[in-house]
Amino acid sequence: MKPKEDNLEQNISRLVKLAGDADKPSSEFVDSVMDGALDELKTPGTGAKKEKSGKTTKSKWVKGFAYAASILILVITLTLPSLKRACERKARPLMARKMAPLEYQVSNSKEVSGLNTSPQPPKRKAHFVGTPMSTNKPMALKDAKEEHKVALRVGRPEAGLIVARKLEPGKRNYPPMAHGGTTPPNGEDVDAMFFKNYGVNPFVDTEDDHLSTFATDVDTGSYTVVRRYLHDGHLPPEKAVRVEEFVNYFNYHYAAPQEDDFAVYAEAAPWSFGTGRKNSYLLRLGLKGKQVSEEYRKPAILTFVIDVSGSMRRENRLGLVKRSLRMLVERLREEDRIGIAVYGSRGRKVMDHRGLYEKGEVLGVIESLQAQGSTYAEEGIRIGYEMAEDAYKRGYINRVILCSDGVANVGRTGADDILEVIRKKAEKGITLSAIGFGMGNYNDVLLERLGDKGNGHYVYIDTIAEARRVFEDNLTGTLQVIGRDVKVQVDFNPEVVRSYRLIGYENRDVPDEKFRDDKYDGGEIGAGHSVTALYELKLWPDREGTVATTYVRYKHADTSAVTEFKSPVAVEDFNRSLDSSSSEFKLAATVAEFAEILRKSYWAKGATLDRVLERAQQLSREFEGDGDVIELVDLISKAERLMRDVEDDIFEIEEPVDVGDDEDEFLRP
Amino acid sequence: MADQSNKQDWAWISAGDADMWREFLSREIPRLYGMFMRRWPNPALAEELVQKTVFDAVRGRSSYEPTKGSGEEWIFGIARNNIRLEIRKRASRPSVDGDISGYMETIDNEPLPDEVLEQKETAAIVKAALAGLASKEQAALRAKYIEGLSARDIGRRLGVTEKAVHSLLYRARISLRRELERMAPADKKG
Repeated sequence: MKPKEDNLEQNISRLVKLAGDADKPSSEFVDSVMDGALDELKTPGTGAKKEKSGKTTKSKWVKGFAYAASILILVITLTLPSLKRACERKARPLMARKMAPLEYQVSNSKEVSGLNTSPQPPKRKAHFVGTPMSTNKPMALKDAKEEHKVALRVGRPEAGLIVARKLEPGKRNYPPMAHGGTTPPNGEDVDAMFFKNYGVNPFVDTEDDHLSTFATDVDTGSYTVVRRYLHDGHLPPEKAVRVEEFVNYFNYHYAAPQEDDFAVYAEAAPWSFGTGRKNSYLLRLGLKGKQVSEEYRKPAILTFVIDVSGSMRRENRLGLVKRSLRMLVERLREEDRIGIAVYGSRGRKVMDHRGLYEKGEVLGVIESLQAQGSTYAEEGIRIGYEMAEDAYKRGYINRVILCSDGVANVGRTGADDILEVIRKKAEKGITLSAIGFGMGNYNDVLLERLGDKGNGHYVYIDTIAEARRVFEDNLTGTLQVIGRDVKVQVDFNPEVVRSYRLIGYENRDVPDEKFRDDKYDGGEIGAGHSVTALYELKLWPDREGTVATTYVRYKHADTSAVTEFKSPVAVEDFNRSLDSSSSEFKLAATVAEFAEILRKSYWAKGATLDRVLERAQQLSREFEGDGDVIELVDLISKAERLMRDVEDDIFEIEEPVDVGDDEDEFLRP
Repeated sequence: MADQSNKQDWAWISAGDADMWREFLSREIPRLYGMFMRRWPNPALAEELVQKTVFDAVRGRSSYEPTKGSGEEWIFGIARNNIRLEIRKRASRPSVDGDISGYMETIDNEPLPDEVLEQKETAAIVKAALAGLASKEQAALRAKYIEGLSARDIGRRLGVTEKAVHSLLYRARISLRRELERMAPADKKG
């Protein structure tokens, strides 16, 4: 997102033009295009190469492009060594400071790169920084917990204009990047973004382990983060893609149970995805929570903890937070109560809890927030929880809502202590929603963990439309939890199923024996929320009978009474083909394929986005008018275009595992 | 469509003859602009598409083959291709409500959708809002965004310094936004 003034100016510029003479362009415009074109003529033509980006950079290239380019290139080249040193000097301590409390390790393996030293137009080619790219190969089960922590070192992406950017004294000046690739898509200086690689689940032989256990996850943050990347013309880093959060972003229209808290739905069909695997099936398990209508929602005591540190000024993050909260406040009822704490250099209480009949004042306080200082998240969160505890009432929804870009750079003790506080309060019934904003130095890992520990959830809001989805369309589900510590265990029948792999949920793994340990943390599911899990299955030929039995275990949100129920699915229930499956099933398959390819899953080897795009386009006709599906098509086509640009790079990667012809070889990684 | 008067030898296109290109572009740019405006009555978009088309043409000049048609046909082919790309881009995104009042809340932060600019009502609202501004502000906005003058030229015309033009433009943008808000109050759906 551009800074405020840029966007306003651009919008005003476009609007004012409407008041001009509609028939002909201004002579200044004609002149400037002509000047730019004639300058461009001085560089050799590029043959039949087509511009792929739909958007031209306006009028900037037009004047003196080539001259400016060659002069600036000279400047950049001459100042390169000192510039590089300056970048390193500044960037390293900054990252270290930000990460210290969280104990991240930085992989700073590549130097800042991407400098184009010829005045030719930049080649549209992706540029990968950070860790060297590798295929996201499946891990052996025992390694699955091993954490790969990655901080991406990033530069400023600017398409087309890369040579014409001025170096500003006093500001960090990263060398410009080529278009595409895994650079973050914001226009500000960028330090680091945090994503974590949880690996990819392997195929498991049913004979070795017939149980698959995981905690539910209703988060959708990963999908919206990736959407942000793609909209801005960049492929996301693989670590940013969590398949289950992609899949769970979409509505599969499971019918809500009338009496029970949850209902389970299963559907399966043959599925061919990637090369080297034959006779695969896709099994979709859907868990749907009971609907609670807005009138029956419990009253809520909400404590906002708002990050107002300097980083929130970027891209007008705080502005988006304010608009989102305004929207939420407008939707709340009079008996709901709101308190506000903020943190910058220090945490402080801004407003004691008050009822929503004083809506005007609450809105006034939200409006008055200003960003400044560093980020003492720990203190802010503590204060928020103290307030929430003081205001606590039984029978209410007691929720802390943390709005942040996740960057915590000041604090005595670090993330583990915050997480411990949050976990303890969650036991008392105060839950946490972690809402992510911003992109430049966005900390996906911390927010996801906070939401998880706080028995709440984690969403990422990139646009006002997403805020609407979370706070308006889905407010009851966002606030009212119906099941806590929800765990799912799927028991595969070794007589029928040869092997299986859980697609996604890598960071939600629960040891099989902990399924009935009610102290062991599971996921939380809000009213009307649904959770979808996908398995890829290999069946023994010509078998019949039960394929799998799904066990669901959860604590009732109010009484904490533990309930467990099961639901079997048999071979006879399988669809004959993917085409004959429900539209929703095909949608889930398409979304998973999209995510698998984006995260370069080992199992996506040989799969291409053009096929996924085709299916998605077909689906958008079946889901006529469904904005989410239409958007999915758009995102896949964007990703497909970007991937085509970087194709060469991808296929140069050495294959990490010897697959050979015998597929059984890689069923046991 | 070819220029019959002088049975042109179009070889200068790929050769990059600057004088010929200048003459060619000064003739074609207004035509292209008109063609885009007929498709989408949105000057900002038309300018963008003209730039892109011209840029595509210049950069792809070596792919031009005189045997396949005149230079005009060629550049209009590129323009049509850009129209197709634009249509495809639009088809793949959710349909947009073109009522400007739906976007007043986000006008500071997000680019307005093209659909909003293409509404007749939007042009009417903008004209009315501009008319509500102080004459100096109005003149500055028109000079800057319609005529495309530089701050220095605007300053010369209005008899003020370049710096004053920048702050005048800044104020004018804020005033215009306020006027727009008055004309098209943001619809509060919440």
